[in-house]
Amino acid sequence: MVELDHAFATGPDTWATITDLERVIPCVEGGRVIEAVSPQEAKAEIVVKMGAMSMTFTGTVEIVERDDDAQRAVLKVKSREKGGQGFANADVTFTLNGDGGQLHTAAQITGKAASMGEGVVQSVLDALIKDFTGKLATA
Amino acid sequence: MTLAPGTYAFGPADATLTVHTRKGGAAAKAGHDLTIEVTDWSATLTLADDPAASALELTADANSLTVREGHGGMMALGDEETASIEQSMRDEVLKGTPIAYRSSRVAANGDDTLHVDGELELNGRRAPVAFDLSVADGRLRGAATVTQTAFGMKPYSALFGTLKVLDDVRVEVDAALPQGDTDG
Repeated sequence: MVELDHAFATGPDTWATITDLERVIPCVEGGRVIEAVSPQEAKAEIVVKMGAMSMTFTGTVEIVERDDDAQRAVLKVKSREKGGQGFANADVTFTLNGDGGQLHTAAQITGKAASMGEGVVQSVLDALIKDFTGKLATA
Repeated sequence: MTLAPGTYAFGPADATLTVHTRKGGAAAKAGHDLTIEVTDWSATLTLADDPAASALELTADANSLTVREGHGGMMALGDEETASIEQSMRDEVLKGTPIAYRSSRVAANGDDTLHVDGELELNGRRAPVAFDLSVADGRLRGAATVTQTAFGMKPYSALFGTLKVLDDVRVEVDAALPQGDTDG
């Protein structure tokens, strides 16, 4: 399990973006919605490019907790590596306040990606989340 | 072995010009160290008794770089990945800009080594690059280090910057010398 915390800048629309799967998923580099099952659940995929190589994870993203007053939401990601044995699951908790937002990520990654070692997974995930939160503020 | 005065022309038919890149960054394990061959290039080495009249010139086609080997990485490089790297080199790194080297000085350093100073044009910029060429066993061999940022190039990176090509790349030349032109 890799756990990471990030603070990020928010814009006027950030809460609306986070709670709209069709808007928040494309903020992840390589991420796209395959099918919106309901306002709380979407089938999605993420293509992680490693230069010439790439790994594709497909699965679901679900809003499992949402408190509009406190501006707190938990998104659960469950995905499997396409053509492989690995999976990547994560619980992502967003909390917004007047000044910005906090993001807590608890991820479980197995398979080829995990074979690089936890330190590498943590570095890549950290960079991916920073890229994501940067896009979130302007989405 | 000494190289006799004269003019020597080299190209892919009798020589190889290769570029060796190394990977770096937190996710370096995911990437490959590459051996890339320049398949369209030509060089002329003029050696005179007067060192001031000696010169080396080389031009290469930026679109002719071909991946020959990839070491390391989580997965072996396949044809698709190799093609993708070559396209990235053409479209994102070199962008078809001229590649040319022109010496400012070629000096013998002992019997079997030439020291070359000069300027490389790459990515629309010029910067000094110096290297040694050695003559042995009927071949001329040498290696130079090219620092990408010295030419305004941003070393290629992926995975949000956690996987990158190191700034310094090594360029090697290995050429067969014409028979009979050397005294070895």
